[in-house]
Amino acid sequence: MAKKADLLQGTLDLLILQTVGGGPIHGYGIAQRILVTSKELLQVQQGSLYPALHRLERKGLLKAEWRETGNGPMGKFYSLTAAGRTCLREEKEQWQRYAGAVAMVLDS
Amino acid sequence: MPFFWNRREAELRNEFAHHLHHLRAEYERQGYSREEAERMARREFGAIARTEEQCRDERRWAWMTGLRQDIVYGVRMMRRTPAVTLAAVLSLALGIGANTAVVSLMDLVLWRDLPVPNPQQLTLVHWQGHGFPRDLTDGASGSMDKAGAWDVADFFSYAAYREMRRSAARLASVAAYSFADDVSITFAGRPMVAKAQPVSGNFLSTLEVRPQVGRLLSDSDDVSGAPAVVVLSHRFWAHVLGSDPSVVGRPITIDNELFVIAGVLEPAFYGLAPGDDTDLYTALHHAAFLHSRFQLGREIFENNRYWGLQLLARRASGVSAAHLLPAVDTAFRASWAQQPKNGATAPRIRLDEGRRGLDFLRDQFRNSLLVLGGLVTLLLAIACVNVANLLLARAVARSSELAMRISLGCSRARLLRQLLTESALLAVIGGALSIAVAWLTATLLGGFLAGDRTVPIGFILDARTTGIAAAVTISALMVFGLFPAWHSSRRLDASWLQQRAGSTGLLARRGWSSGQIFAVFQMALSVVLVMTAVIFTRNLMAIQSSDPGFDRRNLILFNVRPGTSGYDKARLTPFYFNLEQRLASVPGVSGVGLASMRPMNIGGWWQEVRLSGRQDHYPVSANGISPSYLDLYTRRLVAGRNFTRADEREKSTVAIISEDLARKLGGDRVLGRTIAMADGPPGAKLPEYEVIGIAPVIAATSIKERPYALWLPFWPAGAQEATVVLRTSAPPRAVLPGIQKAMSEIDRNLPMVDTMTMEEQISKGLQRERMFATLCNAFGTLALVLSVVGLYGVVSYGASRRRADIGVRLALGARPGNVIAMILRQGLAMAVPGVLLGVPVVWLGGKYLQKELTNMKPVDPTTLLLAPGILLLAAVLATLFPAVRASALDPAETLRQE
Repeated sequence: MAKKADLLQGTLDLLILQTVGGGPIHGYGIAQRILVTSKELLQVQQGSLYPALHRLERKGLLKAEWRETGNGPMGKFYSLTAAGRTCLREEKEQWQRYAGAVAMVLDS
Repeated sequence: MPFFWNRREAELRNEFAHHLHHLRAEYERQGYSREEAERMARREFGAIARTEEQCRDERRWAWMTGLRQDIVYGVRMMRRTPAVTLAAVLSLALGIGANTAVVSLMDLVLWRDLPVPNPQQLTLVHWQGHGFPRDLTDGASGSMDKAGAWDVADFFSYAAYREMRRSAARLASVAAYSFADDVSITFAGRPMVAKAQPVSGNFLSTLEVRPQVGRLLSDSDDVSGAPAVVVLSHRFWAHVLGSDPSVVGRPITIDNELFVIAGVLEPAFYGLAPGDDTDLYTALHHAAFLHSRFQLGREIFENNRYWGLQLLARRASGVSAAHLLPAVDTAFRASWAQQPKNGATAPRIRLDEGRRGLDFLRDQFRNSLLVLGGLVTLLLAIACVNVANLLLARAVARSSELAMRISLGCSRARLLRQLLTESALLAVIGGALSIAVAWLTATLLGGFLAGDRTVPIGFILDARTTGIAAAVTISALMVFGLFPAWHSSRRLDASWLQQRAGSTGLLARRGWSSGQIFAVFQMALSVVLVMTAVIFTRNLMAIQSSDPGFDRRNLILFNVRPGTSGYDKARLTPFYFNLEQRLASVPGVSGVGLASMRPMNIGGWWQEVRLSGRQDHYPVSANGISPSYLDLYTRRLVAGRNFTRADEREKSTVAIISEDLARKLGGDRVLGRTIAMADGPPGAKLPEYEVIGIAPVIAATSIKERPYALWLPFWPAGAQEATVVLRTSAPPRAVLPGIQKAMSEIDRNLPMVDTMTMEEQISKGLQRERMFATLCNAFGTLALVLSVVGLYGVVSYGASRRRADIGVRLALGARPGNVIAMILRQGLAMAVPGVLLGVPVVWLGGKYLQKELTNMKPVDPTTLLLAPGILLLAAVLATLFPAVRASALDPAETLRQE
């Protein structure tokens, strides 16, 4: 069980980093974009999204600033730090290697 | 912090509000009503509070989870190398423990305030002048010490006390006391000897000590005619009376007078100085022995020429010592019998700091404690260096792991923190264990302080001591933790992988590694400790084996105190004569003698004597002895005759002097001439004695010294107490029961006090030397073990890194002997400079060591050869093992590994 949770958490972090990598974006935007880009296959629960964002911010992978969003209240916009970018690159590579390897095994 | 926290909370709420806003807008766009959209948005978002809490957790416990990870990881690393961990933890526990103990003891003796409320208000009342003021006083009891150009003394007449107390009443409470003395007591039919201190009625209330049970003394107890009451120390109550609260109100006999127990002191109060062994406090007016000390009786309360009381004062709040001084000084002058002719040199009051009580222990032990403090600091330094070295070696072994973590994005700071956490873990475990070590050491030390006194000083393991341990631990952590952590994190950069090839390569490294420098440093420190141990052991051995001038085996001694157990002058003479005769007839006893001062008990009755008609005078240790006393020690006199019973009875003014004094006074010609005490009250006739005999030199007061001896006849009618010395023809233990039986036949109610053999008596006087030697040996051994472990670690680590090198040498035909010699050389290359660095340190510290030594130079050729010899031998042994192991390498295998 614990392993599965780790994997999910790691995956969510990767998805968030990737999405934030596209430029400053707020929490709602991240959830929406993941939903859209995964063709509605991956729905991120707010209950996991925000703790993950705060964790990544604490680790120094994300930084945040408050901005006006035209209409409505101020939004908290996240963007990648230098460390976040490095981490994204590494995690992405690792994920692709891993996914590729799993695929190879499954296809054989 | 609250502000910061609130902002965080507000941000969290705003962030969620923002999200909800978008959700609602989305639903509204899809055509739902505002209310419906709001409801659906909320439903989709889920439990806000829970999410908030999760986010908070991510922040709040961030550092904690980090710490937890560090600790878990640290514990795992420690378990992976149990030997290193054990060595490190033990090194620290020993180093920190020894320090805590010594520092607590220094605190207790040198720095701690008396355990009474507002100790800063206490003032010791002294006077300063030039010499003994003969025009003002005929007799004194107390101490007089040089302080710069002044003589500072602590004794006052009762009149002075009364006068000061009266005139300074608004500024301070002045109280009086005299030093404690042995008394014979009987409680519930049980005779024993205790230590009683005469104090003024307001003494305990001035100190603001509280009673544990019953009440303390008051002024109404300290007047003639008041019922005699006594207050017990908590220690006496607990140890002797079994903490029985019902003893209050019960009768107790002190020196044959009936007292009633008024109460018991609170446990925290130990007296006026740590190590104070007072059992009973009695009012001045009821301290019979105080009166007999001056052979004056009640006169001490009226005669203002007898200065035998010590004074202390508690200043009222807001009153400074400077403010109090004039009032006390005026009262002091007013109390004198006459005004001195020369007012400029007359005594004047000085008020000294009293918050820490009396300072006799401080003066006596400051140097010893400083030496011990220095030694344990060195020991801790060795322990820290050892741990640093172990951690350093382990860090190098972990290089690949650490490099891996760095390359995985772990920050340098994070890594430093991890390494520091690991050393902190070691320190905490070591620190916790150190309390046990501290306790053991302090028990030893307590005995050391007590020395020839009878009570050990309890080790007080309280918040202060624990604080000291914590402080020592933290400073140790700084020393041993920071360097390896910094060192290894510094090494770890991107080029580490390239370095790696070189580090295990074929080339021997040039220059000194930090590990090697550490080992040299350790050796230097160890040589200091080992040398100190050698010095003090030799000191003790030299004293113990020194010849006292008589056969120390088969001698028993004990005290009797008939004068305080109901014998009056008329009965004392027959008592002593009967005692000698009765004991002489006990089987196994070959001789019995009486002395007024206990032999070999440090100190004695000191006098200055001169030959009549000559001015040169000499310090002598005087003692009153029965005619058979000298026969116990020596076969015959050098010249002249011994005392007789007639001398004793008639209180003849005859004397026997020691051979060395006789030589000073003119050899045999001194027989028949008169010697006189050189000092005494002015106007009084100085006592004179006819020299009738010359005795061989024996160590009479202590085995450490040979003062000139003056033997006078024992005067039984005036001896309240005496020491009985017996020579036995069989082992003392076998004869003792017979002696005890004879004593109980003489008087069942007369206790034998401090019964022991002469050998025990001598070694009791050497407790301080023995403790010092024991402690120094313990520290020296520890230092030796620690530095040997350190050296072994460095050498075997070095050898393991040079496996390939050694393999090649062996493959090229080097014999195992060559390899052993090579590694031994490397070990000695660290040991020898270490030893050479350490020896001068001992030389520099010699001044402090000298004060602790008797008849010995701190650094002499034997010590100079012995201590470095021990260290070098240990170094060779430490190096030999890795050397032999390296020489047994299989060259083929090592080369294959490369």
